Amino acid sequence: MAISAARIASRRVANGAFVAFCYIVTFVALSFLTAILWTLLQKGLGGVNIDVFTMSTPAAGSRGGLLNAIIGSVMLCFYAMVIALTVGILAGTWLAEYAGNSRYGTVVRFLNDVLLSAPSILIGLFVWEVMVANLLHHFSGWAGSVALGLIAIPVIARTTEDVMRLQPTALRESGIALGTPFWSVIRSVLWRSAASGILTGALLAFARISGETAPLLFTALNNQFTSLDMGREMANLPVVMFNYALSAYEDLQRLAWVAALIVSMSVLGITIIARFVSREQKRT
Amino acid sequence: MNEVALDSFDVSVARVDKAQVKLDVQELDFYYGKTHSLKGVSIPFSEKKVTALIGPSGCGKSTLLRTLNRMYALYPGQRATGRIMLDGEDILRPGVNLSMLRARIGMVFQKPTPFPMSIFDNVAFGVKLYENLSKAEMADRVEESLRRAALWDEVKDQLNSSGLGLSGGQQQRLCVARGIAVKPEILLLDEPTSALDPISSAKLEETVTQLKADYTIVIVTHNLGQAARVSDFTGFMYLGELVEFGETASMFTRPVTKRASDYITGRFG
Amino acid sequence: MTEVAMTAAAQPQAATDQRRVAPKGSGLEVAFEYVCFAAATLLLAALGGVLVSLLIGGWPAFAHFGVSFFTSSTWDPVNDEFGVAGPIVGTVVTSLLALLLAVPTAFGVAFFLVELCPGPLKRPIGTAVELLAGIPSIVYGMWGLFVFAPVFSKFVQLPLMTAAPPGSIWEKFTQGVPNGTGILAASIILAVMVLPFIAATMRELLNTVPAQVRESAYGLGATTGEVVMKVTLPYVRRGVIGAIMLGLGRALGETMAVTFIIGNSHGFPKSLFDAGSTIASTIANEFAEAAPGLHTASLIASGLVLFIITFIVLALARMMLGRQRSV
Repeated sequence: MAISAARIASRRVANGAFVAFCYIVTFVALSFLTAILWTLLQKGLGGVNIDVFTMSTPAAGSRGGLLNAIIGSVMLCFYAMVIALTVGILAGTWLAEYAGNSRYGTVVRFLNDVLLSAPSILIGLFVWEVMVANLLHHFSGWAGSVALGLIAIPVIARTTEDVMRLQPTALRESGIALGTPFWSVIRSVLWRSAASGILTGALLAFARISGETAPLLFTALNNQFTSLDMGREMANLPVVMFNYALSAYEDLQRLAWVAALIVSMSVLGITIIARFVSREQKRT
Repeated sequence: MNEVALDSFDVSVARVDKAQVKLDVQELDFYYGKTHSLKGVSIPFSEKKVTALIGPSGCGKSTLLRTLNRMYALYPGQRATGRIMLDGEDILRPGVNLSMLRARIGMVFQKPTPFPMSIFDNVAFGVKLYENLSKAEMADRVEESLRRAALWDEVKDQLNSSGLGLSGGQQQRLCVARGIAVKPEILLLDEPTSALDPISSAKLEETVTQLKADYTIVIVTHNLGQAARVSDFTGFMYLGELVEFGETASMFTRPVTKRASDYITGRFG
Repeated sequence: MTEVAMTAAAQPQAATDQRRVAPKGSGLEVAFEYVCFAAATLLLAALGGVLVSLLIGGWPAFAHFGVSFFTSSTWDPVNDEFGVAGPIVGTVVTSLLALLLAVPTAFGVAFFLVELCPGPLKRPIGTAVELLAGIPSIVYGMWGLFVFAPVFSKFVQLPLMTAAPPGSIWEKFTQGVPNGTGILAASIILAVMVLPFIAATMRELLNTVPAQVRESAYGLGATTGEVVMKVTLPYVRRGVIGAIMLGLGRALGETMAVTFIIGNSHGFPKSLFDAGSTIASTIANEFAEAAPGLHTASLIASGLVLFIITFIVLALARMMLGRQRSV
């Protein structure tokens, strides 16, 4: 069989084009990332001063900071994680240990994965209708936490189930062979050895909800003042970013960028810690 | 070795003193879903003796072991029919308290499975479930169990360190200590040395020999030498049936059935 | 050989049996299982609750407008006339355009990381891509409005608009105000947002191809491009489709990245540079101030439409992908 030189040449050209495409495209993607990070640092750091951490959000033209928004975001996310960890870990445990291959288990798993990627604004609408419109008749930090919690639950349920399934069967059976009630085996043995995996999932979920804006828009809304009252509107960084960035005032826009910097850095920091934890766990 | 003519075998031929039988399996059938894995198995386990179960892969020896403490009850679709008499009571009947049963019958697995907690807590784990011991009594119980498992000297200074930090052989002996801490009557060992190096294996075999003074032991092994070294009685299984059973010494020198003879001499494995 | 020191011999069995009580916690066995089951059912209930609440809240709009709700593009809060056709078109068009841009790029990045990237760079670049995926979408939106839009307007919109031959189809597609916003701008930002997610998923998929398969292809003399396009990609074809659909599902529901830069006009967009709106952006912009009644109901009803579209896409993606990524 004569190998055609032209054929080889054309294949080489095609390969060259392919490789060039991959390089170019990766370069473009990384440039966007660099551009965004650069903007964050430049605009965000430029507006950072002591006021940011000591004063509440201002009206246009006056001095102010982000104190109430920072406190509010921390509180909203904290309670959201409490809800999400409770429901998520128990649900994940059920899927891993009790559901087996049952039909119901398959359905729950499937819908869990769908909920994982569902538009967060719709979750906000749901919580608005149930809690804000019908139950409480006003905006509330609790509603915001519930909305954020609903977004985090599928993440935690999924990672908990995955990591519980990784535990060796022999470990389960060792506990049973001693006559231990099954739920004690889960509690004292399985959860303990799955702990770092569950922690990783929790960190990733926290990173995700700390940047979510849409579900807070009509649940926790926003609050001009520093308030620790979860029963009313709660200030938070994402909604502050939304309002101030779209406002016409430069000083407010500057604050929005500071908020963006704070949120992005926390998310990146938490994600890095989560990856560190999971790599440590894989090593043992 | 004599040429044997028998293809089948009656377990009553083995010289077993009825009064000495602790655990008596009678006509046991086992099913994984539709698969019939154990077929009419009848075998006696004598008190304070070591009985070995040998046979090629898939013959059902591990399955048989796991019926003795009803471990299969964890999995729907697995079921057993027949009778297993423990001190005259059938443990397969419904209504048996499984936790209390498993307190009397301990199990050690192929892969060492230390719990993610300190050595002390590992050994104390089972005891805490059933008994309310004072601190001093618990410490004594832990020490006694670790001594019996031939681990005490190696870990007595690090009882608070994690069980996961021990070597494979030590972890396996930790599992033995954990199992005997609840003072069971019977110990089930499922290929306990197959994941261990030769030195750790030898240590564990020594431990088994010393443990039989106080416990009835059933050991599953695919290592014929181990069965010969350690056990008093041996049962040979093939394709879900108990093909031959008898005193280890005579089984290994004068097996009665052809199939057992073929396996022991290595004609198939 | 070490000596095993034996302490007191085992006590008679009877004494131990008497000291044994039923193991601690036996009574709570069933209760615990129910609690876990309840948690799992709560999950199901949440999804069902979303659907039901959207139905109930949006029903007045469906009942009042009927089919015209889906076909009309009038959005007049003053006269209570609402039609969701504009946002639907905007949602679908921006998402599809975004995918058109993001998918080949994501492929390229994934292939680069798997086949071409030099060893020491693999981890940092791979991590960088994953971190990109974690940046909150509102940051993308802000960046889009403040940084991207001016550049886009000056270097893309203006030149394209002036260069388009009058009367041609290009002119139709490039009409509008060159202020850096509009359908195309929003699609690009959306593409940048969705890109790291698809790239990371693709990379995981490509890594599942066994080394021997790739080596056999190389061994036959295939070039890198040929191995990737003709062997590796078909091997994970099903997962790839799933990854694309997952990206589509995310793009459809994305709010913040789009709201800032799409222009927020409710009509049908007629050109790439026209302002438009998506369902999500409309809800985000108007819901807090919407008057209770038909306005609110219409917004919720449009949310229901979004829910149905994304549910179908995500369910299909899940069926294709199986259980790949956790997040």
